[in-house]
Amino acid sequence: MKSNRWLFIIIALIAGIGMGLAYGWLIDPADFFDLTPDTLRADYKADYVLMTSEAYRVELDPGLAARRLAIFGSQSPSAIAADGLVYARANGFADEDVVLMQELVTAMQAWSGIP
Amino acid sequence: MRRIPWSSLFALLAGLGLGLVYAWTISPARVIDSEPVALRADFKDHYRSAIAAAYSATGDLARAQARLSLLGDSDSIEALNAQAQRMLASGQSFDEADQVVALASALDQNGVDIPTSTPITQSTDNTTNTVNTVIALTSTFPASAFTYEVPVQLTETPPVIETQTTSVAATPRPTRTFIPTAGAPFALTEQESVCDPNLPDGLLQVLVFNSNRRQMPGIEILITWEGGAENFFTGLKPELGNGYADYIMTADITYTLQLRSGSDIASGLSTPTCQTPSGEAFSGGIKLTFEEP
Repeated sequence: MKSNRWLFIIIALIAGIGMGLAYGWLIDPADFFDLTPDTLRADYKADYVLMTSEAYRVELDPGLAARRLAIFGSQSPSAIAADGLVYARANGFADEDVVLMQELVTAMQAWSGIP
Repeated sequence: MRRIPWSSLFALLAGLGLGLVYAWTISPARVIDSEPVALRADFKDHYRSAIAAAYSATGDLARAQARLSLLGDSDSIEALNAQAQRMLASGQSFDEADQVVALASALDQNGVDIPTSTPITQSTDNTTNTVNTVIALTSTFPASAFTYEVPVQLTETPPVIETQTTSVAATPRPTRTFIPTAGAPFALTEQESVCDPNLPDGLLQVLVFNSNRRQMPGIEILITWEGGAENFFTGLKPELGNGYADYIMTADITYTLQLRSGSDIASGLSTPTCQTPSGEAFSGGIKLTFEEP
């Protein structure tokens, strides 16, 4: 009888921990701020790549475009631009925007020496 | 009658507390899919710069507004102006700071010009009408239309935007229409001697306002004298005003001053001689005020 009691207590404790983790991780995760751009949702990243593409179309400065893209961190500028392009194509961005992003990808590949 | 299992209930609550502590503080969920509003301040600056660069290239103010709304600034214009000052103060590219200022000016002008339908007078080509029309139409979009799902909405190219895109594609893009440097010359509206013994000798103060009486940062000022010239900018002393700039004049030299983007010329500027109430002479200063017509 006494061991049963401890069993219930342990089960309740584990259930409580599970509920706490579920609530804290899934239902109401901690609020975050001061984040880095690599955490941005894919559509925001793609829109940032589009902004860079729009500016590049006029500025024609691959170094500046690469510097803008570099805020995403570890990937190369051409890979970041390519990811944005893939997202844009898969999510129905306007054709003219896709063309702009394609131009940026090409420029970034040429700039970084990718054949 | 069943007894309430207090010990199990207590264990459940204790477990719940432990779970929450672990989930919220010790090992919070890995952040993915965040929004621009949660970015660190310096990354928000990068984001704003990119928005301004894109606006400078496309002239698409509605899209720029939608993007800016993602950053959650209480006042986007102020945020842009403050950023431009930081960029200039930290020695970043003037062109990039200029793009940020231009976007702030465009937003500012947009907010004022639309209700009055005042035509833009500095340009007489066909693109002017196109821009006026588009901005007037897009301004009717509710703010909430540019909140969470902006990137997706932008790609859907609503008819209004499509109209602009088509017409702009057929004609040169009116990228610089709202940039103050392309506008009508600034007028020298006030020139006065300042006799304040607490100010440095020969202090030349310049204040630059736009047509809405908002101070304008990042305005380049050219001061010349016989055998020399120098440039300085408004906004480098934000504590004295976004449109404030100053220069220390040397006694016995006469200066001529003009805003680089075009303004009335203030000539014959020299350190005035002032007197204290007790009759003691000291060097005063000059204050110039320029205003966009």
